[in-house]
Amino acid sequence: MLVHRELLNASMTYRAQRSVIENRALQYELGRRTSARRGVITIPVVVHVVSNRNHPEQDISEEQIRSQFTVLNQDFRAANPDVDKVPDVWKPLVADTRIEFRLATQDPNGDPTDGIVRVVTDRTGFDHRHGVKSSATGGSDPWPSDQYLNMWVCQLTGGLLGYAAFPGQPPHLDGVVILHSAFGTTGTADFPGNPFNGGRTATHEIGHWLNLFHVWGDDDGACTSDDKVVDTPNQADANTGMPRFPRITCNNGPNGDMFVNYMDYTDDAGMFMFTKGQLARMNACLEGPRASFLAAAAMPALAQEATVGSAAGAEAAEKFVSDGDVERLLHDSERLTVEVLNDIRAVLDTVAGRPRGREARGGVRR
Amino acid sequence: MSGTVPDVVGVWLHSYEEDTETTAVYRPRDHPFRPSRRPRRGLEFRAGGTFLELRPGPDDRPREVTGRWRSEGGDRIRVAFPEEDGAPIEISVISCADGVLRIAK
Repeated sequence: MLVHRELLNASMTYRAQRSVIENRALQYELGRRTSARRGVITIPVVVHVVSNRNHPEQDISEEQIRSQFTVLNQDFRAANPDVDKVPDVWKPLVADTRIEFRLATQDPNGDPTDGIVRVVTDRTGFDHRHGVKSSATGGSDPWPSDQYLNMWVCQLTGGLLGYAAFPGQPPHLDGVVILHSAFGTTGTADFPGNPFNGGRTATHEIGHWLNLFHVWGDDDGACTSDDKVVDTPNQADANTGMPRFPRITCNNGPNGDMFVNYMDYTDDAGMFMFTKGQLARMNACLEGPRASFLAAAAMPALAQEATVGSAAGAEAAEKFVSDGDVERLLHDSERLTVEVLNDIRAVLDTVAGRPRGREARGGVRR
Repeated sequence: MSGTVPDVVGVWLHSYEEDTETTAVYRPRDHPFRPSRRPRRGLEFRAGGTFLELRPGPDDRPREVTGRWRSEGGDRIRVAFPEEDGAPIEISVISCADGVLRIAK
């Protein structure tokens, strides 16, 4: 019962944090708040390479790791070589997010580092239950998540390509996890027929880390929910493989689904863009729950101090980011009201036996 | 739990590449699945009657939803979830042998 209560409390805390984060995102989306960020922000990253002792190829090379950073710094700057493949109708929406990534050069103790932690494990693979994020379960412990983006690279089971943590998750779970053969463009990712050899899994997962949702709204094929971004069309479900333009769903013609977006499920070779609306959500995230990264970039001296004690970093972030708390509280109540109404509607649908998805999935009928 | 289909006990992930028009194919979780950007749906039948469904989640992690399963006789299984997690589901087992679970679409 104690464990259950702890989980419930954790869930309630997470839900409350998510509500605040989503309220901020909504204000940016509506233009009621605008980003104060100028220039390019560079996020320090620690890459945890967790490899099985009998499979040394999983201990990927520094070259493969650096190839991933090349992709990230192209994709997030709209400098990817394939950006010209974006259909003409969406070209004006392409966003240079002014976010870059680099391997950390200083560890949490302030010592020099190459930003790569290598751990050999007896585990043959990790599933979606976060085991790779802890040395106690054969993985690698995270570095402070308010100072580093933690990126775990390992063998995943069940065909899993990767997964992410939205802002608001507990610090020990924060970061992204990527299958080693979908990480970067060389080494174990470089084999014939691999549709995930372009480094786009990390682009997609970091999109989640910056609070982006899937473009189809995770509504299981219905058209009732979207990604809370104005300039991405509502679409029914995920697109996979290499769709052909246009693909119409949810009455979203003539242009249809934006399957070329990094937040769809197409192959690496089929996704090329973030939109300006998605950038607004990323900015809301960077100036909200992930503001410590902006503070560290703006005030290097304080950032160094923060490597010794995270309290200083948090204080710096608090000072750097204008709060707007009164306005935020007003909009908190607005968003919470909408959420409660949606919950009530979902319960009524369930009681009335109305289906929430569009069709049966994998032989499972509702 | 009661019924005649105890051989489905285990953890099964959707091997959707093997689906046919009428059949969905599931394999044990340690099967060497091809990587998939869309997380594979999963069905876990526990001997005690607990059921765990893995549904694609918004952060690309399969989202675990717990329910209870029971045989309805013949090839049919019924799974009930807590109210907030959706309506009951029905599963028609076509076969379960040699590490392959086939159910009707």
